[in-house]
Amino acid sequence: MAETSFHKPVAKIKRKKSLAQRLSENKAVQQSSAIVLPVLLGVVIFALWQTQVLHKMFGTDVFTLPLPTKIASLFAQNLPAVWINSLATIKAAGLGLLFGSILGYVVAILATFFPDMGKGGLYLVGAFASIPIAALAPVMNNWTKDVSSTASVRSMVSKILVVTLVCAADMTLNAYRGLTEVKPYSEDLMATYAASKRKLLFKLRIPNSVPYIFTALKVSVPASIMTAVVSEYFAEYIVGVGREIRENIVLSQYSIAWVYITAACIIGIVAYALLMLAQSILMKKFKPV
Amino acid sequence: MEMKKVPLTKQKWFQVLFWILFIIVAWEVGASVVAVTKRTPENVMPHLYQILAAAFSTKPVSSGMSATMVVLTSARATLLRAFGGFLLGAALGFVFALLMQMSKAVEKMIFPYLMLIQLIPVLGLAPIVLAITGDINKSRIIIAAILSFYPVANNTLAGFKSVSKERYELMATYAAKKYQIYGKVLIPAASPYFFTGLKIAAPLAVTASILVDTLQGDGGLGCMLSQSLKHAMSIYVFWLIVFFSAFVGIFSTYLISFIEFITSPAKRAAWNGRSLEKKHRRAAMKAARKEYRKEKEDGRDLISQTCSENKA
Amino acid sequence: MANAVMERSAQTMDVESKEVEIRVDHLGVTFQDNEGNDVQALTNVNLTVHKGEFVSLLGPSGCGKTTLLRCVADLQEPTEGEIKVGGKTPREIRMAQKFGFVFQQPVLFDWRTVKKNVELPLEMMYQTKERRSKRADEMLEMVGLTNFANHYPGQLSGGMQQRVNIARALGIRPDILLMDEPFSALDEFTKEKLHEDLLRIWSKTNKTILFVTHNIQEAVFLSDRVCVLSPHPGRLSAIVDITLPRPRTLDMRETPEFNELVRQVRDSFEGGSL
Repeated sequence: MAETSFHKPVAKIKRKKSLAQRLSENKAVQQSSAIVLPVLLGVVIFALWQTQVLHKMFGTDVFTLPLPTKIASLFAQNLPAVWINSLATIKAAGLGLLFGSILGYVVAILATFFPDMGKGGLYLVGAFASIPIAALAPVMNNWTKDVSSTASVRSMVSKILVVTLVCAADMTLNAYRGLTEVKPYSEDLMATYAASKRKLLFKLRIPNSVPYIFTALKVSVPASIMTAVVSEYFAEYIVGVGREIRENIVLSQYSIAWVYITAACIIGIVAYALLMLAQSILMKKFKPV
Repeated sequence: MEMKKVPLTKQKWFQVLFWILFIIVAWEVGASVVAVTKRTPENVMPHLYQILAAAFSTKPVSSGMSATMVVLTSARATLLRAFGGFLLGAALGFVFALLMQMSKAVEKMIFPYLMLIQLIPVLGLAPIVLAITGDINKSRIIIAAILSFYPVANNTLAGFKSVSKERYELMATYAAKKYQIYGKVLIPAASPYFFTGLKIAAPLAVTASILVDTLQGDGGLGCMLSQSLKHAMSIYVFWLIVFFSAFVGIFSTYLISFIEFITSPAKRAAWNGRSLEKKHRRAAMKAARKEYRKEKEDGRDLISQTCSENKA
Repeated sequence: MANAVMERSAQTMDVESKEVEIRVDHLGVTFQDNEGNDVQALTNVNLTVHKGEFVSLLGPSGCGKTTLLRCVADLQEPTEGEIKVGGKTPREIRMAQKFGFVFQQPVLFDWRTVKKNVELPLEMMYQTKERRSKRADEMLEMVGLTNFANHYPGQLSGGMQQRVNIARALGIRPDILLMDEPFSALDEFTKEKLHEDLLRIWSKTNKTILFVTHNIQEAVFLSDRVCVLSPHPGRLSAIVDITLPRPRTLDMRETPEFNELVRQVRDSFEGGSL
């Protein structure tokens, strides 16, 4: 390294950086601020809530908006009931998500086999996705009236159906993109191998669609829980986190309603965290080049 | 029979028409089956012509109003609030995205909560918002606003982030001021993303508003829907509302696409250019594929022959 | 050794007593890679560029040629040494809007028409609508895109987009044109056409041009001087004077003189630790 030793004696005009500049460029500061700042905001909100400043801002009282400590203690007291209702919601959302995603994926594959008419069908699926759930849920209730003589079973079937339809629409649209938007020339490459349609599907399209499946799930996991909660409002049989929120408000038991709101939030967050975990594990294998 | 006209199947209008007809036929087949098997077929799946007849009948169903009148007057209450909430949520979403873009600290502070809003079943909050505000109209607006907020904020922020480093550097070489970078680069670049957010938000706002209706017997689409289900008025009001709200949800996204289209001449020109380019590319691909197929049929496809030989 | 070359070239230039436009003095740039190790992108670079001169920075990827250009444009701060442009700091020159920078990618704004793209920097200078429009028309005429003024960038070919890029950079009447591998993404035919265009525009406007490239022929064909940079660490290893007469024509590429210069530049690489 003759060059380096040569330039050492030359007078350097080193640039000094200001403290703020050094701080903003420091990686440790950057990373910790991503955690510290949101926690700070959370603590502020919590403090405002607990000291009832939040109540004054919204013009409400501790009866409709109970203090966090009270919600927490009630949550602990009612744990068995919360668990049963959460389970019902999770079942409707989870099964609906599963069936809907499979159905949506199959529809997407069918659409790739009939490119012209299939694509036209997708416009309709897209339109279908914008139908309000509030209109869908009662229709499904009516259609499932004769499925079973037990109200709890037919209500569950109806809820699962609504979630299925909502999730299927998301999955179809995303999976179709994943199945068709392959790397340029890869289809031509497969053609030079004289690959059959089936080979093309399994060797090229399906692997290519894996990241898109997760794109769809990122939308449909929260959507499935929201849909399950809303369809509970319309369901015949009284069970589920969403329904309990509503029933308790009708009975003016606001603090219990807040317990169920908390439960709904936890379900949503845990489900999304699980999805992220699954993605990080699966995508390691399926890393697109 | 329709399928035989090959060039038609390539056209979008025909594809859509085909699937709409397909759904109509499927519905009618279902309705015919239901008509003979169920005791009250109009509750489960009435014929479409029955629903249409109900829409055009002048027979009063509730307080002297015909079914269509009931739907339209309640729709006015619901949709106006949905629209108000949508505008409020979209505006707030845009402002928050702008704030997060302007300050890294604000972004770090707010973004995790933005994610949380998406994960929380906001519609589950509807009854509590109604309890806090005590006013159905305010609740409609607030819930619609919260639901519209997230997609708009998230998409707009993604739009700001999509601006490449080179574009910033180009503006730096012109010694552009901050507001010029926002006005001339960031906001125009985020505009398509913003519209994508609006397209997601619009049907959510409608859903929210209808759902809040069902919580209180105070008019609105959701309220009429519940009453009709409880047979307080003709069940056809229910079916009219279902189809009407489906239509509004679908129509809202197309309306926003249309607004985006007319407000952006660049998009229009790009769209024209792209569709032309696509047409050329498709024609070239088709010709190549045709030739390839012909070769294969003629047995001149040496590549596939050698491939299969190698495999054997 | 490298220093000797530079000292000599600086001396000869002083003798010719041309006005100095850019002076790079003991420039060094160090940055940290992902593992936190210091990487020397440039060390001890000394360079003088005179007014109206066409100078190329030539080298393989990773030699710091783009870093050097970005330091001149004040898009990056050097860690050692200093740069003076017309006696001022790069920041002062940038804030005075005296730089025209041409990126490798056209960096056009797809929601603006071709003409509006050319007008963009003029808007930063608060020029009136009439003056902007007039100037944009002139620039588009110079690059031969008058008929495409109302098209959108997405409707143009890559070569046309790059010409818009050049028109935009020249529109603000910059003192110095900084070009970062502007033609490297284009095909050979388009490139040759744009080489001729650039030389024609340069002879007409008499700008100082600092041109980054990794193509030896391109550097020799266009420049008055070729600065050869070597990597690990990035440094200036030679400066080759291009003695070909002006105006240059594409035929010159076939002459023995041209090939001799190309060989000379290539040899100066081998002199470094490539």
